[in-house]
Amino acid sequence: MQQLILYIDPGTGSLLLQLVIGGIVTFGLFFKNSFKKFFSLFKKKDDKI
Amino acid sequence: MFYAQHESSFRDNDSVILKKNNEIIRVIYDSYKEHYEAFERSGFMDELINDHKLISHIDISNEINNFENYKNIYKIIKPKYIPFISYPYEWCFSQLKQAALLTLSIQLSALQKGLTLKDASAYNVQFLDGKPIFIDTTSIEIYEEGKPWVAYKQFCQHFIAPLLLYKYGNPDLIKLLWANIEGLPLDAISKVLPFKTRFNFFVWTHIHYHAKLELKYNSSKSIKSKKIHLSKSRLEAFIQFLKSGIENIELPKSKTEWSDYYDTFSYSKDMFEQKKELVQNYLSICDSNVVLDIGCNDGAFSLIAAQYAKQVVSVDFDYLVIENLFNITQNKNITNITSLILDVSNPSPAIGWANTERLSFYNRTNYDTILALAVIHHLAIGNNVPISNIAKLFASISRYLIIEFVPKSDPQTQKLLVTKKDIFNHYTLEEFKIQFQKYFIINAFEQLKGSDRILFFMTKNETIS
Repeated sequence: MQQLILYIDPGTGSLLLQLVIGGIVTFGLFFKNSFKKFFSLFKKKDDKI
Repeated sequence: MFYAQHESSFRDNDSVILKKNNEIIRVIYDSYKEHYEAFERSGFMDELINDHKLISHIDISNEINNFENYKNIYKIIKPKYIPFISYPYEWCFSQLKQAALLTLSIQLSALQKGLTLKDASAYNVQFLDGKPIFIDTTSIEIYEEGKPWVAYKQFCQHFIAPLLLYKYGNPDLIKLLWANIEGLPLDAISKVLPFKTRFNFFVWTHIHYHAKLELKYNSSKSIKSKKIHLSKSRLEAFIQFLKSGIENIELPKSKTEWSDYYDTFSYSKDMFEQKKELVQNYLSICDSNVVLDIGCNDGAFSLIAAQYAKQVVSVDFDYLVIENLFNITQNKNITNITSLILDVSNPSPAIGWANTERLSFYNRTNYDTILALAVIHHLAIGNNVPISNIAKLFASISRYLIIEFVPKSDPQTQKLLVTKKDIFNHYTLEEFKIQFQKYFIINAFEQLKGSDRILFFMTKNETIS
Protein backbone atom coordinates (compact mmCIF):
# COMPACT_ATOMS: atom_id res chain seq x y z
CA MET A 1 0.00 0.00 0.00
CA GLN A 2 1.20 3.47 -0.75
CA GLN A 3 2.21 5.55 2.25
CA LEU A 4 -0.97 6.95 3.74
CA ILE A 5 -0.70 10.60 4.75
CA LEU A 6 -3.55 11.15 7.13
CA TYR A 7 -4.47 13.38 9.97
CA ILE A 8 -6.35 10.73 11.86
CA ASP A 9 -4.99 7.35 12.86
CA PRO A 10 -6.76 4.80 10.68
CA GLY A 11 -5.50 1.91 12.85
CA THR A 12 -3.75 -0.97 11.11
CA GLY A 13 -6.15 -3.46 12.69
CA SER A 14 -9.11 -1.43 11.46
CA LEU A 15 -7.80 -1.50 7.89
CA LEU A 16 -7.11 -5.24 8.03
CA LEU A 17 -10.57 -5.87 9.40
CA GLN A 18 -12.11 -4.28 6.33
CA LEU A 19 -10.13 -6.71 4.16
CA VAL A 20 -11.37 -9.75 6.08
CA ILE A 21 -14.98 -8.68 6.63
CA GLY A 22 -15.24 -6.90 3.26
CA GLY A 23 -14.53 -10.27 1.63
CA ILE A 24 -17.02 -12.14 3.81
CA VAL A 25 -19.89 -9.70 3.28
CA THR A 26 -19.24 -9.51 -0.46
CA PHE A 27 -19.61 -13.29 -0.70
CA GLY A 28 -22.62 -13.08 1.60
CA LEU A 29 -24.22 -10.52 -0.70
CA PHE A 30 -23.38 -12.65 -3.74
CA PHE A 31 -25.16 -15.67 -2.28
CA LYS A 32 -28.08 -13.56 -1.06
CA ASN A 33 -28.56 -12.08 -4.52
CA SER A 34 -28.17 -15.49 -6.16
CA PHE A 35 -30.87 -16.92 -3.90
CA LYS A 36 -33.12 -13.99 -4.69
CA LYS A 37 -32.59 -14.50 -8.43
CA PHE A 38 -33.16 -18.22 -8.08
CA PHE A 39 -36.46 -17.76 -6.25
CA SER A 40 -37.60 -14.93 -8.49
CA LEU A 41 -37.33 -17.39 -11.42
CA PHE A 42 -39.96 -19.55 -9.71
CA LYS A 43 -42.12 -16.54 -8.96
CA LYS A 44 -42.21 -15.52 -12.61
CA LYS A 45 -43.23 -19.03 -13.58
CA ASP A 46 -45.99 -18.94 -10.97
CA ASP A 47 -47.23 -15.66 -12.36
CA LYS A 48 -47.46 -17.10 -15.86
CA ILE A 49 -49.52 -20.04 -14.65
CA MET B 1 -12.41 43.22 10.55
CA PHE B 2 -10.94 40.52 12.79
CA TYR B 3 -11.65 36.84 12.67
CA ALA B 4 -10.37 34.58 15.43
CA GLN B 5 -9.40 31.00 14.78
CA HIS B 6 -12.08 28.63 16.04
CA GLU B 7 -10.74 26.71 19.06
CA SER B 8 -11.80 23.33 17.67
CA SER B 9 -10.15 23.89 14.29
CA PHE B 10 -6.57 22.70 14.31
CA ARG B 11 -6.56 19.00 13.46
CA ASP B 12 -7.03 19.27 9.71
CA ASN B 13 -4.33 21.02 7.68
CA ASP B 14 -6.52 21.45 4.61
CA SER B 15 -8.61 24.25 6.05
CA VAL B 16 -9.12 26.40 9.10
CA ILE B 17 -12.33 27.65 10.67
CA LEU B 18 -12.52 31.25 11.79
CA LYS B 19 -15.25 32.96 13.75
CA LYS B 20 -16.56 36.41 14.49
CA ASN B 21 -19.80 36.85 16.42
CA ASN B 22 -22.42 34.92 14.48
CA GLU B 23 -20.23 34.36 11.44
CA ILE B 24 -18.25 31.27 10.59
CA ILE B 25 -15.61 31.32 7.85
CA ARG B 26 -13.73 28.38 6.38
CA VAL B 27 -10.36 29.23 4.82
CA ILE B 28 -9.38 26.42 2.47
CA TYR B 29 -5.71 25.92 1.60
CA ASP B 30 -4.07 24.97 -1.69
CA SER B 31 -3.43 21.46 -0.33
CA TYR B 32 -7.17 20.75 -0.66
CA LYS B 33 -7.65 22.38 -4.07
CA GLU B 34 -7.57 19.15 -6.07
CA HIS B 35 -10.11 17.52 -3.75
CA TYR B 36 -12.43 20.52 -3.62
CA GLU B 37 -12.47 20.74 -7.41
CA ALA B 38 -13.29 17.05 -7.74
CA PHE B 39 -16.02 17.36 -5.10
CA GLU B 40 -17.54 20.36 -6.84
CA ARG B 41 -17.12 19.10 -10.43
CA SER B 42 -18.77 15.78 -9.64
CA GLY B 43 -21.97 17.64 -8.74
CA PHE B 44 -21.89 15.82 -5.41
CA MET B 45 -21.39 19.00 -3.39
CA ASP B 46 -24.52 20.60 -4.83
CA GLU B 47 -26.43 17.35 -4.47
CA LEU B 48 -25.59 17.10 -0.76
CA ILE B 49 -26.41 20.76 -0.14
CA ASN B 50 -29.73 20.52 -1.99
CA ASP B 51 -30.63 17.41 0.01
CA HIS B 52 -29.84 19.31 3.24
CA LYS B 53 -27.17 16.76 4.04
CA LEU B 54 -24.25 19.19 3.89
CA ILE B 55 -24.18 22.71 5.28
CA SER B 56 -24.63 25.29 2.52
CA HIS B 57 -22.09 28.06 2.03
CA ILE B 58 -21.32 31.12 -0.05
CA ASP B 59 -17.98 31.71 -1.71
CA ILE B 60 -16.34 34.86 -0.37
CA SER B 61 -12.90 34.35 -1.91
CA ASN B 62 -13.09 37.92 -3.24
CA GLU B 63 -12.63 39.12 0.35
CA ILE B 64 -9.16 37.57 0.49
CA ASN B 65 -7.61 40.87 1.58
CA ASN B 66 -9.21 40.45 4.99
CA PHE B 67 -7.28 37.24 5.53
CA GLU B 68 -3.70 38.41 5.12
CA ASN B 69 -2.52 36.34 8.09
CA TYR B 70 -3.26 33.15 6.20
CA LYS B 71 -0.97 31.90 3.42
CA ASN B 72 -1.57 29.53 0.50
CA ILE B 73 -5.30 30.21 0.42
CA TYR B 74 -7.22 28.43 -2.30
CA LYS B 75 -10.73 29.48 -1.39
CA ILE B 76 -12.70 31.16 1.37
CA ILE B 77 -16.24 30.03 2.08
CA LYS B 78 -18.83 31.16 4.58
CA PRO B 79 -21.01 28.27 5.76
CA LYS B 80 -24.51 28.85 7.08
CA TYR B 81 -24.45 29.69 10.76
CA ILE B 82 -25.70 27.04 13.19
CA PRO B 83 -27.32 28.78 16.16
CA PHE B 84 -26.80 26.03 18.70
CA ILE B 85 -23.92 23.57 18.73
CA SER B 86 -24.51 20.23 20.43
CA TYR B 87 -22.22 17.28 21.02
CA PRO B 88 -22.73 13.51 20.66
CA TYR B 89 -22.62 12.93 24.41
CA GLU B 90 -25.80 15.02 24.64
CA TRP B 91 -27.71 13.22 21.90
CA CYS B 92 -30.43 10.69 22.46
CA PHE B 93 -30.43 7.35 20.67
CA SER B 94 -32.35 8.56 17.60
CA GLN B 95 -30.20 11.66 17.21
CA LEU B 96 -27.06 9.53 17.29
CA LYS B 97 -28.52 6.96 14.91
CA GLN B 98 -29.62 9.60 12.41
CA ALA B 99 -26.20 11.26 12.55
CA ALA B 100 -24.53 7.85 11.96
CA LEU B 101 -26.79 7.04 9.01
CA LEU B 102 -26.20 10.48 7.51
CA THR B 103 -22.44 9.93 7.67
CA LEU B 104 -22.72 6.51 6.04
CA SER B 105 -25.12 7.63 3.33
CA ILE B 106 -22.65 10.40 2.42
CA GLN B 107 -19.80 7.87 2.36
CA LEU B 108 -21.75 5.43 0.15
CA SER B 109 -22.79 8.11 -2.36
CA ALA B 110 -19.28 9.59 -2.27
CA LEU B 111 -17.77 6.26 -3.31
CA GLN B 112 -20.05 6.12 -6.31
CA LYS B 113 -18.68 9.51 -7.37
CA GLY B 114 -15.06 8.46 -6.86
CA LEU B 115 -14.84 10.31 -3.55
CA THR B 116 -14.58 9.29 0.11
CA LEU B 117 -14.83 10.71 3.64
CA LYS B 118 -11.42 11.18 5.21
CA ASP B 119 -12.91 11.29 8.70
CA ALA B 120 -16.14 10.21 10.38
CA SER B 121 -16.21 12.21 13.57
CA ALA B 122 -19.59 12.64 15.24
CA TYR B 123 -18.55 16.26 15.85
CA ASN B 124 -18.86 16.75 12.07
CA VAL B 125 -22.61 16.41 12.40
CA GLN B 126 -24.85 19.06 13.93
CA PHE B 127 -28.60 19.47 14.22
CA LEU B 128 -30.08 22.29 12.19
CA ASP B 129 -33.84 22.83 11.94
CA GLY B 130 -34.35 19.56 13.79
CA LYS B 131 -32.39 17.43 11.33
CA PRO B 132 -28.79 16.20 11.24
CA ILE B 133 -26.47 17.98 8.85
CA PHE B 134 -22.82 17.40 7.95
CA ILE B 135 -20.78 20.52 8.63
CA ASP B 136 -17.25 19.63 7.51
CA THR B 137 -17.13 20.54 3.83
CA THR B 138 -13.45 19.60 3.56
CA SER B 139 -13.96 16.05 4.83
CA ILE B 140 -14.58 14.77 1.31
CA GLU B 141 -11.51 13.75 -0.67
CA ILE B 142 -10.67 11.85 -3.82
CA TYR B 143 -10.99 8.08 -3.41
CA GLU B 144 -7.95 6.04 -4.34
CA GLU B 145 -8.71 2.60 -5.75
CA GLY B 146 -7.78 -0.15 -3.32
CA LYS B 147 -7.69 2.03 -0.24
CA PRO B 148 -9.82 0.88 2.72
CA TRP B 149 -11.92 3.45 4.60
CA VAL B 150 -9.46 5.30 6.82
CA ALA B 151 -12.27 6.73 8.96
CA TYR B 152 -13.76 3.34 9.83
CA LYS B 153 -12.13 3.13 13.27
CA GLN B 154 -13.30 6.64 14.11
CA PHE B 155 -16.80 5.78 12.93
CA CYS B 156 -16.92 2.80 15.31
CA GLN B 157 -15.62 4.87 18.23
CA HIS B 158 -17.94 7.82 17.63
CA PHE B 159 -21.13 6.10 16.50
CA ILE B 160 -21.33 2.31 16.77
CA ALA B 161 -19.97 2.05 20.32
CA PRO B 162 -22.37 4.63 21.82
CA LEU B 163 -25.34 3.23 19.86
CA LEU B 164 -24.62 -0.22 21.28
CA LEU B 165 -24.33 1.22 24.79
CA TYR B 166 -27.84 2.54 24.30
CA LYS B 167 -29.12 -0.75 22.96
CA TYR B 168 -27.56 -2.87 25.68
CA GLY B 169 -28.59 -0.70 28.61
CA ASN B 170 -25.48 1.32 29.45
CA PRO B 171 -26.38 4.80 28.21
CA ASP B 172 -24.60 6.52 31.10
CA LEU B 173 -21.28 5.23 29.78
CA ILE B 174 -21.65 7.41 26.68
CA LYS B 175 -20.34 10.18 28.94
CA LEU B 176 -16.97 8.42 28.55
CA LEU B 177 -16.76 10.58 25.43
CA TRP B 178 -15.94 13.45 27.82
CA ALA B 179 -12.74 11.65 28.72
CA ASN B 180 -12.00 10.31 25.23
CA ILE B 181 -12.17 13.07 22.68
CA GLU B 182 -11.08 10.64 19.95
CA GLY B 183 -14.11 8.47 20.65
CA LEU B 184 -14.93 5.54 22.91
CA PRO B 185 -12.10 3.02 23.40
CA LEU B 186 -13.21 -0.18 21.65
CA ASP B 187 -11.44 -2.58 24.01
CA ALA B 188 -13.28 -1.07 26.98
CA ILE B 189 -16.63 -1.20 25.16
CA SER B 190 -15.93 -4.81 24.18
CA LYS B 191 -15.63 -5.67 27.89
CA VAL B 192 -18.76 -3.78 28.87
CA LEU B 193 -21.14 -5.25 26.28
CA PRO B 194 -22.98 -8.45 27.30
CA PHE B 195 -21.43 -11.79 26.41
CA LYS B 196 -24.28 -12.67 24.03
CA THR B 197 -23.17 -9.85 21.70
CA ARG B 198 -20.17 -12.00 20.70
CA PHE B 199 -22.64 -14.13 18.76
CA ASN B 200 -24.06 -11.13 16.92
CA PHE B 201 -22.05 -10.82 13.68
CA PHE B 202 -22.41 -7.02 13.49
CA VAL B 203 -21.33 -6.38 17.09
CA TRP B 204 -18.65 -9.04 16.98
CA THR B 205 -17.13 -7.50 13.86
CA HIS B 206 -17.15 -3.82 14.72
CA ILE B 207 -16.45 -4.05 18.44
CA HIS B 208 -15.07 -7.38 19.71
CA TYR B 209 -13.01 -8.51 16.71
CA HIS B 210 -12.10 -4.89 15.94
CA ALA B 211 -10.78 -4.36 19.49
CA LYS B 212 -8.78 -7.56 19.27
CA LEU B 213 -7.18 -6.61 15.95
CA GLU B 214 -6.43 -3.14 17.29
CA LEU B 215 -4.56 -4.54 20.26
CA LYS B 216 -2.66 -6.97 18.05
CA TYR B 217 -1.44 -4.35 15.59
CA ASN B 218 -1.05 -1.27 17.75
CA SER B 219 2.60 -1.98 18.53
CA SER B 220 5.46 -0.56 16.50
CA LYS B 221 5.63 -3.74 14.42
CA SER B 222 2.71 -2.60 12.35
CA ILE B 223 2.23 -4.02 8.90
CA LYS B 224 2.08 -0.71 7.07
CA SER B 225 4.68 -1.85 4.58
CA LYS B 226 2.55 -4.83 3.64
CA LYS B 227 -0.06 -4.44 1.04
CA ILE B 228 -3.63 -3.75 2.12
CA HIS B 229 -5.74 -3.64 -1.01
CA LEU B 230 -9.52 -3.61 -0.81
CA SER B 231 -11.45 -3.43 -4.05
CA LYS B 232 -14.10 -0.76 -4.38
CA SER B 233 -16.93 -3.27 -4.63
CA ARG B 234 -15.81 -4.94 -1.39
CA LEU B 235 -15.48 -1.58 0.32
CA GLU B 236 -18.98 -0.66 -0.81
CA ALA B 237 -20.32 -3.99 0.46
CA PHE B 238 -18.57 -3.32 3.77
CA ILE B 239 -20.10 0.16 4.14
CA GLN B 240 -23.50 -1.26 3.18
CA PHE B 241 -23.03 -3.89 5.90
CA LEU B 242 -22.32 -1.09 8.38
CA LYS B 243 -25.36 0.86 7.25
CA SER B 244 -27.87 -1.98 7.40
CA GLY B 245 -26.47 -3.03 10.79
CA ILE B 246 -27.05 0.45 12.18
CA GLU B 247 -30.52 0.62 10.66
CA ASN B 248 -31.33 -2.52 12.65
CA ILE B 249 -30.14 -1.18 16.02
CA GLU B 250 -33.16 -0.21 18.09
CA LEU B 251 -33.70 0.71 21.70
CA PRO B 252 -35.20 -2.21 23.66
CA LYS B 253 -39.00 -2.12 23.20
CA SER B 254 -39.72 -1.93 26.92
CA LYS B 255 -37.70 1.27 27.10
CA THR B 256 -39.50 3.16 24.41
CA GLU B 257 -42.99 2.76 25.80
CA TRP B 258 -44.16 5.97 27.37
CA SER B 259 -44.89 5.13 30.97
CA ASP B 260 -45.28 6.80 34.33
CA TYR B 261 -42.93 9.68 34.01
CA TYR B 262 -42.18 11.58 37.12
CA ASP B 263 -44.04 14.82 37.52
CA THR B 264 -46.20 14.68 34.43
CA PHE B 265 -49.14 12.95 36.01
CA SER B 266 -48.92 14.56 39.38
CA TYR B 267 -50.77 17.52 37.89
CA SER B 268 -54.47 17.82 37.95
CA LYS B 269 -55.86 18.79 34.57
CA ASP B 270 -56.98 22.17 35.88
CA MET B 271 -53.56 22.93 37.25
CA PHE B 272 -51.90 21.90 34.02
CA GLU B 273 -54.17 24.16 31.95
CA GLN B 274 -53.62 27.06 34.34
CA LYS B 275 -49.86 26.56 34.23
CA LYS B 276 -49.89 26.42 30.44
CA GLU B 277 -51.83 29.66 30.22
CA LEU B 278 -49.56 31.45 32.68
CA VAL B 279 -46.40 30.27 30.94
CA GLN B 280 -47.86 31.39 27.63
CA ASN B 281 -48.62 34.84 29.05
CA TYR B 282 -45.17 35.26 30.53
CA LEU B 283 -43.41 34.03 27.39
CA SER B 284 -45.37 36.46 25.25
CA ILE B 285 -43.90 39.31 27.31
CA CYS B 286 -40.31 38.01 27.18
CA ASP B 287 -39.67 38.38 23.44
CA SER B 288 -36.97 35.70 23.56
CA ASN B 289 -34.46 34.74 21.02
CA VAL B 290 -33.39 31.59 22.87
CA VAL B 291 -35.30 29.83 25.66
CA LEU B 292 -33.69 27.18 27.84
CA ASP B 293 -36.19 24.65 29.23
CA ILE B 294 -34.54 22.95 32.18
CA GLY B 295 -35.97 19.55 33.08
CA CYS B 296 -38.21 19.66 30.03
CA ASN B 297 -39.81 16.28 30.78
CA ASP B 298 -42.39 15.46 28.08
CA GLY B 299 -41.71 18.80 26.39
CA ALA B 300 -45.21 20.22 26.85
CA PHE B 301 -43.77 23.61 27.78
CA SER B 302 -40.96 23.47 25.21
CA LEU B 303 -43.63 23.12 22.55
CA ILE B 304 -45.33 26.25 23.89
CA ALA B 305 -42.02 28.12 24.09
CA ALA B 306 -41.30 27.19 20.48
CA GLN B 307 -44.22 29.39 19.45
CA TYR B 308 -42.77 32.44 21.21
CA ALA B 309 -39.00 32.08 20.72
CA LYS B 310 -36.74 31.65 17.71
CA GLN B 311 -34.94 28.78 19.36
CA VAL B 312 -35.68 26.49 22.30
CA VAL B 313 -33.03 24.34 23.94
CA SER B 314 -34.77 21.63 25.96
CA VAL B 315 -32.71 19.62 28.40
CA ASP B 316 -33.40 16.72 30.72
CA PHE B 317 -31.13 14.18 32.36
CA ASP B 318 -33.41 11.31 31.33
CA TYR B 319 -32.41 9.96 27.94
CA LEU B 320 -35.85 8.45 27.31
CA VAL B 321 -37.51 11.81 27.86
CA ILE B 322 -35.24 13.37 25.25
CA GLU B 323 -35.78 10.43 22.91
CA ASN B 324 -39.52 11.02 23.17
CA LEU B 325 -39.30 14.78 22.69
CA PHE B 326 -36.94 14.44 19.71
CA ASN B 327 -39.39 12.04 18.05
CA ILE B 328 -42.31 14.38 18.75
CA THR B 329 -40.51 17.37 17.20
CA GLN B 330 -39.58 15.33 14.13
CA ASN B 331 -43.08 13.92 13.68
CA LYS B 332 -44.68 17.33 14.10
CA ASN B 333 -41.99 18.94 11.98
CA ILE B 334 -41.10 21.45 14.69
CA THR B 335 -37.74 22.83 13.66
CA ASN B 336 -36.77 25.21 16.45
CA ILE B 337 -36.45 22.84 19.40
CA THR B 338 -33.07 21.32 20.17
CA SER B 339 -33.58 18.53 22.70
CA LEU B 340 -30.52 17.34 24.60
CA ILE B 341 -29.61 14.99 27.42
CA LEU B 342 -28.16 17.14 30.14
CA ASP B 343 -27.98 16.87 33.90
CA VAL B 344 -28.14 20.43 35.19
CA SER B 345 -26.39 19.34 38.37
CA ASN B 346 -23.46 18.16 36.25
CA PRO B 347 -23.67 19.72 32.77
CA SER B 348 -21.32 18.98 29.86
CA PRO B 349 -17.84 20.29 30.65
CA ALA B 350 -15.37 22.00 28.34
CA ILE B 351 -13.11 19.31 26.89
CA GLY B 352 -10.21 18.81 24.53
CA TRP B 353 -7.11 20.89 23.95
CA ALA B 354 -6.80 23.82 26.37
CA ASN B 355 -10.36 23.02 27.49
CA THR B 356 -11.60 24.99 24.53
CA GLU B 357 -12.04 22.40 21.78
CA ARG B 358 -15.58 21.47 22.83
CA LEU B 359 -17.40 24.08 24.83
CA SER B 360 -19.08 23.62 28.16
CA PHE B 361 -22.85 23.71 27.99
CA TYR B 362 -23.32 27.22 29.38
CA ASN B 363 -20.60 28.68 27.18
CA ARG B 364 -22.28 27.96 23.87
CA THR B 365 -25.00 30.54 23.65
CA ASN B 366 -26.77 33.31 25.49
CA TYR B 367 -30.25 32.60 26.74
CA ASP B 368 -32.99 35.16 27.11
CA THR B 369 -35.41 33.11 29.16
CA ILE B 370 -35.13 30.11 31.44
CA LEU B 371 -38.07 27.83 32.05
CA ALA B 372 -37.51 25.94 35.29
CA LEU B 373 -40.80 24.18 35.90
CA ALA B 374 -41.11 21.50 38.55
CA VAL B 375 -37.35 21.27 38.78
CA ILE B 376 -36.13 23.28 41.77
CA HIS B 377 -36.91 20.52 44.29
CA HIS B 378 -34.83 18.09 42.25
CA LEU B 379 -31.89 20.49 42.39
CA ALA B 380 -32.26 21.72 45.96
CA ILE B 381 -33.31 18.48 47.62
CA GLY B 382 -32.40 15.78 45.10
CA ASN B 383 -28.92 17.23 44.56
CA ASN B 384 -28.38 19.26 47.76
CA VAL B 385 -27.76 22.49 45.81
CA PRO B 386 -28.52 25.54 48.02
CA ILE B 387 -31.23 27.86 46.65
CA SER B 388 -28.70 30.72 46.63
CA ASN B 389 -26.51 28.78 44.16
CA ILE B 390 -29.47 28.06 41.90
CA ALA B 391 -30.48 31.73 41.85
CA LYS B 392 -26.90 32.78 41.10
CA LEU B 393 -26.56 30.33 38.20
CA PHE B 394 -29.85 31.28 36.58
CA ALA B 395 -29.02 34.98 36.90
CA SER B 396 -25.67 34.39 35.21
CA ILE B 397 -27.19 32.90 32.08
CA SER B 398 -30.52 34.58 31.47
CA ARG B 399 -32.58 37.79 31.60
CA TYR B 400 -36.02 36.30 32.28
CA LEU B 401 -36.93 33.44 34.53
CA ILE B 402 -40.17 31.48 34.73
CA ILE B 403 -39.78 29.26 37.75
CA GLU B 404 -42.09 27.01 39.72
CA PHE B 405 -41.50 26.77 43.42
CA VAL B 406 -42.38 23.29 44.67
CA PRO B 407 -42.61 23.39 48.48
CA LYS B 408 -41.52 20.69 50.86
CA SER B 409 -45.14 19.72 51.51
CA ASP B 410 -45.64 18.74 47.85
CA PRO B 411 -45.99 14.97 47.29
CA GLN B 412 -43.19 15.06 44.68
CA THR B 413 -40.80 16.71 47.13
CA GLN B 414 -41.84 14.24 49.82
CA LYS B 415 -40.93 11.40 47.45
CA LEU B 416 -37.39 12.79 47.24
CA LEU B 417 -37.21 12.85 51.03
CA VAL B 418 -38.20 9.20 51.49
CA THR B 419 -34.61 8.00 51.23
CA LYS B 420 -32.95 11.17 52.48
CA LYS B 421 -32.49 12.81 55.82
CA ASP B 422 -34.31 16.12 55.84
CA ILE B 423 -31.42 18.55 56.29
CA PHE B 424 -33.14 21.15 54.15
CA ASN B 425 -34.36 23.61 56.76
CA HIS B 426 -33.68 26.48 54.39
CA TYR B 427 -35.87 25.08 51.64
CA THR B 428 -38.79 27.46 52.23
CA LEU B 429 -40.78 29.92 50.17
CA GLU B 430 -39.33 32.82 52.18
CA GLU B 431 -35.77 31.73 51.55
CA PHE B 432 -36.57 31.16 47.88
CA LYS B 433 -37.86 34.74 47.55
CA ILE B 434 -34.93 36.24 49.46
CA GLN B 435 -32.33 34.42 47.39
CA PHE B 436 -33.89 35.03 43.98
CA GLN B 437 -34.59 38.69 44.76
CA LYS B 438 -30.86 39.16 45.19
CA TYR B 439 -30.67 38.93 41.39
CA PHE B 440 -34.20 39.18 40.05
CA ILE B 441 -37.28 41.38 40.28
CA ILE B 442 -40.48 39.37 40.72
CA ASN B 443 -42.92 40.56 38.07
CA ALA B 444 -45.74 38.19 38.83
CA PHE B 445 -46.55 35.04 40.76
CA GLU B 446 -49.54 32.79 41.10
CA GLN B 447 -50.42 29.74 43.13
CA LEU B 448 -51.19 26.68 41.02
CA LYS B 449 -54.65 25.21 41.50
CA GLY B 450 -54.98 22.30 43.90
CA SER B 451 -51.41 22.59 45.16
CA ASP B 452 -49.03 24.70 47.22
CA ARG B 453 -46.85 25.27 44.18
CA ILE B 454 -46.26 28.85 43.04
CA LEU B 455 -45.28 29.93 39.56
CA PHE B 456 -43.01 32.99 39.46
CA PHE B 457 -42.13 35.27 36.57
CA MET B 458 -38.96 37.26 37.17
CA THR B 459 -36.72 39.68 35.32
CA LYS B 460 -33.06 40.08 36.09
CA ASN B 461 -32.31 43.15 38.13
CA GLU B 462 -29.77 44.82 35.86
CA THR B 463 -28.76 47.30 38.55
CA ILE B 464 -27.07 44.42 40.37
CA SER B 465 -23.95 43.18 38.67
